[in-house]
Amino acid sequence: MLKDITIGQYFPLGSVIHKLDPRAKLFYTFTFIIMVFVSSNFISLALCIACAVLIIALSKVPVKTVIKGLRPILLIIVITSFLQIAYVKTGVTLIDFWKIHITSGGILQALFMTLRISLLIVMSTMLTYTTSPTSMTNGLDRTFAPLVKIGIDFNIVTMIMTIALRFIPTLIEEVDKILSAQKSRGANFESGNIFKRAKMLIPLFVPLLFSAVRRAYELAYAMTCRCYNGGKGKTTMNALKYKKCDYLVTLLTFAFIAGVVVLNIYCGEYNAEFTFNSAV
Amino acid sequence: MSLLQTENLSYIYGEGTPFRVTALDNVNIEIEKGELVAVIGHTGSGKSTLMQQFNGLLKPTSGKVLLDGEDIHSSKTKTLETRFRVGLCFQYPEYQLFENTVYDDIAFGPKNMGLSKAEVDKRVRTAAKYVGIPEHAFETHPFDLSGGEKRRVAIAGVISMEPEILILDEPTSGLDPRGREQILSLIKNYREQTGKTVIIVSHSMDDVAKIATKVIVMNNAKVEMRGTVDNVFEKSDRLCEIGLSVPQITEVFVKLHAMGYPVSEKIYTTEQGFAEIKKLLKGGEALA
Repeated sequence: MLKDITIGQYFPLGSVIHKLDPRAKLFYTFTFIIMVFVSSNFISLALCIACAVLIIALSKVPVKTVIKGLRPILLIIVITSFLQIAYVKTGVTLIDFWKIHITSGGILQALFMTLRISLLIVMSTMLTYTTSPTSMTNGLDRTFAPLVKIGIDFNIVTMIMTIALRFIPTLIEEVDKILSAQKSRGANFESGNIFKRAKMLIPLFVPLLFSAVRRAYELAYAMTCRCYNGGKGKTTMNALKYKKCDYLVTLLTFAFIAGVVVLNIYCGEYNAEFTFNSAV
Repeated sequence: MSLLQTENLSYIYGEGTPFRVTALDNVNIEIEKGELVAVIGHTGSGKSTLMQQFNGLLKPTSGKVLLDGEDIHSSKTKTLETRFRVGLCFQYPEYQLFENTVYDDIAFGPKNMGLSKAEVDKRVRTAAKYVGIPEHAFETHPFDLSGGEKRRVAIAGVISMEPEILILDEPTSGLDPRGREQILSLIKNYREQTGKTVIIVSHSMDDVAKIATKVIVMNNAKVEMRGTVDNVFEKSDRLCEIGLSVPQITEVFVKLHAMGYPVSEKIYTTEQGFAEIKKLLKGGEALA
């Protein structure tokens, strides 16, 4: 069960997308997320979808894996859709039976929200699928490096992120080990009422916390021994360099922003009745 | 009928994934009452997996584990009962301590068994005596103890369940020579006084030679050899081939023998070695 966590997972597939500079990827991902919210009609949203599909296709990440990443937010999608259908009362009435009153506006609004949320999740998981943690932190590091001038050392933030990601599997392994050890002493984690179960977490969390703190100390000493001083004057082995394709991608990102804005202006706020009637 | 027995036991990690690893392959072993069995093998040979099969933490992919002739997975209650009858003490057991006092930590197992307060108290005191934790230390916080003491408290936490079989996974790893010595002698005393079965997993051939009555050698998920200390350590060539060794003292005597000194090659502990050297000196042989 614990091993199913896919947050921050990386698929080393070596595609064009994988080889892009992490700064270019960070830039288009954040732009994309903003643009998904800026899009005010289905046509500009269609442009977003087209871009997402293009990136997935180029990245060679199996479509099945991408869709699997949506599973954790399925509940959120269902609840949002339900609320939209229940409360939006514009457009043509489709079903009017007892207390159930469904309109075309509600359905379209639900569809719109579903697409928005899914696009957000798909694009942010695509970022971690195609960018290794090291190059991701490198990218963040370089992007925010100018902040040093106003007294913020972003290197420390990226170091904390790297360490946190690095220790997820280690701590999962530790949990497995402690669970087995306490089970061997007759601890029963699987049955009993909620209070009994909550109490059984003590034999798990006390040793876990203790070992996490111990590891933190050891790591801190090891880093001190290697003269870690918070990134001051630090150089990197693989210095990031913006290549031709990175410039191209950045250019395309700007074109994408322009595209969404233009489509927003020309096609206007989406009109439920109009969209519905033309669809029929 | 053996006390603990495995029948064509196999276990595969990650079945159906690309990370599939066979950890145990058709293992058949019998362990009799009162034995002190040492399981040796290099890292990844399946020793620890085998130990977790013995107390039912892992379920065999195929084959059976029999305790007193009964399958430990025949029912859920049977599996839970097995956890109490076969006490497993993991590697670095001090990392599982969590209570506020030494006493409470040793009492955790017996309490889980649903014993009366008086019985729990009796067991805690007995277990503490076996591992040499004095009663005035009962109210100490476990984290205030030294590494060796913590380890002994953790072992007491398993002994206090009074299991018929006590399994210790690498009980001496990471300890200084004095800590090692203490743990080994407590294991030996515990077995002599209670007559119960003890299984230890070890990397240290010297430890094994000192206390084991029977040795099982694991290699690549299979049982490679089994027998007495003599039976196993006399095959030093094969042991080296599979990444193990013989006790240091044995190496010395094998070399001495090869150099032409009239000493036995079958020396496995320092005591035996001492006696052999004394015999040699008394025999008046010139030592070149």
